[in-house]
Amino acid sequence: MRRTLNVIRLQLINRQTFVWVPLIILGSATVLSVLIYAMIPGDGPKYGGGGQAPLWYFFAIGISAMTLTFPFSQAMSITRRDFFVGTMLTAILGSAFLAALFLLGGGIEVATNGYGVNGYMFYLPWLWEAGPLGAFVVYFTLALFLFVLGFTGATIYKSWGPTAVTIVGVGLSLVLVGLVFLVTRLELWVQVGLTMGDLGALGLALWGLAIVVLLGAVSFFAFRRATP
Amino acid sequence: MTAVIEVQNLTKRYKDTRALDNISLSLEGGAIYGLLGRNGAGKTTLMSILTAQNFESSGTVRVFGEHPYENSRVLNRVCFVREGQKYPDDAYPRHAFAAARLFFENWDQDLADELIAEFQLPMKQTIKKLSRGQLSAVGVIIGLASRADLTFFDEPYLGLDAVARQIFYDRLLADYAEHPRTIVLSSHLIDEVSNLIEKVIVIDSGRIILNEDTDAVRDRAVTVVGDAEAVDAWASGREILHRETLGRVASVTVLGALSAAERAEVTASGLDLTPVSLQQLVVRLTQKAEAADRASTAKEGVL
Repeated sequence: MRRTLNVIRLQLINRQTFVWVPLIILGSATVLSVLIYAMIPGDGPKYGGGGQAPLWYFFAIGISAMTLTFPFSQAMSITRRDFFVGTMLTAILGSAFLAALFLLGGGIEVATNGYGVNGYMFYLPWLWEAGPLGAFVVYFTLALFLFVLGFTGATIYKSWGPTAVTIVGVGLSLVLVGLVFLVTRLELWVQVGLTMGDLGALGLALWGLAIVVLLGAVSFFAFRRATP
Repeated sequence: MTAVIEVQNLTKRYKDTRALDNISLSLEGGAIYGLLGRNGAGKTTLMSILTAQNFESSGTVRVFGEHPYENSRVLNRVCFVREGQKYPDDAYPRHAFAAARLFFENWDQDLADELIAEFQLPMKQTIKKLSRGQLSAVGVIIGLASRADLTFFDEPYLGLDAVARQIFYDRLLADYAEHPRTIVLSSHLIDEVSNLIEKVIVIDSGRIILNEDTDAVRDRAVTVVGDAEAVDAWASGREILHRETLGRVASVTVLGALSAAERAEVTASGLDLTPVSLQQLVVRLTQKAEAADRASTAKEGVL
């Protein structure tokens, strides 16, 4: 247990990675978005996707946690299990931190009437319809999902090479296309739309969380045989 | 007493090559071992498997009596910084040392600080911007200051200048004397480490061709120099590792220790006896093993 907690400290030793860089990305995205909103004519509320910028950064640190921090952890004589659990706990903490920032951003947008220009990048009505807690879960899930996706992809790449990553990627795409085909063939799109609407952002996020857990389990088994 | 490292019939296969070929090895511990061999002989693979960084294809591996894989009882006592070790993105040397302090319970921060000063390691640059030698210094400092019961150094001197290498050798000996433990030093600079290592293990093409006390190894061969005819006459019937001639003078290195009487006989017949350096012996033994390999492959080819 102590070693697992030490892995969290190891991941956070350079606070730049999990704290300052996301803050810088988020800050710059906000400034850029506000400038652009201010230039757009019209009085209606303006919505933008600038808030997703730090989410993609989580994909990148998921990759680097596997390709760089893992080999270093081996030199620190850390077992793979301790490293995996500690790293996932760090990702959970990081995602929660990011989700809290999103809530804060949403709060600021509501309080300042969209930075005074009626522009929003955090307070997107569809994401907030289940309240602040719902929005928190949505952002948290997205960040964690991208981290685990990066980590798992890098694990597969390191263990079985680029061909395996391509095969898995193409395989997953085929499954998705197959589902789309089935839904189209059975003329279920109306029902799919209704279900999505019923689930709302929060419901979808909770399903997403289940997928994250599943992906994490797959990742763990692949990771157990990984070499630095 | 159980051996620190116990390996039986260890084989590591990569697709169509055998990086380790049916190795059996036992290290009692409490000494500085030299793991010597050519590039690609299997040194790093062996050390990786002993520290569970890599996996054996077959055979048994015991470190402190247990298999090291996912075994924190074993791994807590082990330190292995690879040659070309990777570090977290954007990490500075101080981050690496802070991490080592978290995970190695015997970590000596004072020693680490002294070594940082002696190696003149720049602390204000990220590790990925360090030169090859400075990168080696980071690994050497972690290996020494962690004071793990079993420490592996994998070609630790790469890129280090002569002064820095001497600092490493001196510091290693001094710290080892104060805190006895088991150290495995992989190297192909054999002459440089020959005064440091108490036991020598030579690995070639994935096979162990020598595993003995360094002192015993030094006595295993002699070189006789003198008039070519006299030298050849003396050497006939002995196992010759190497022979070279210059005009009428020949120098022959033969395997096997000489008794006092034999030594006297050699000197009386006007020939000179010279000791064989560890490096020469390892080179000659390796060449002999590889020649035997080629001969047997050639034979198989004919069949």
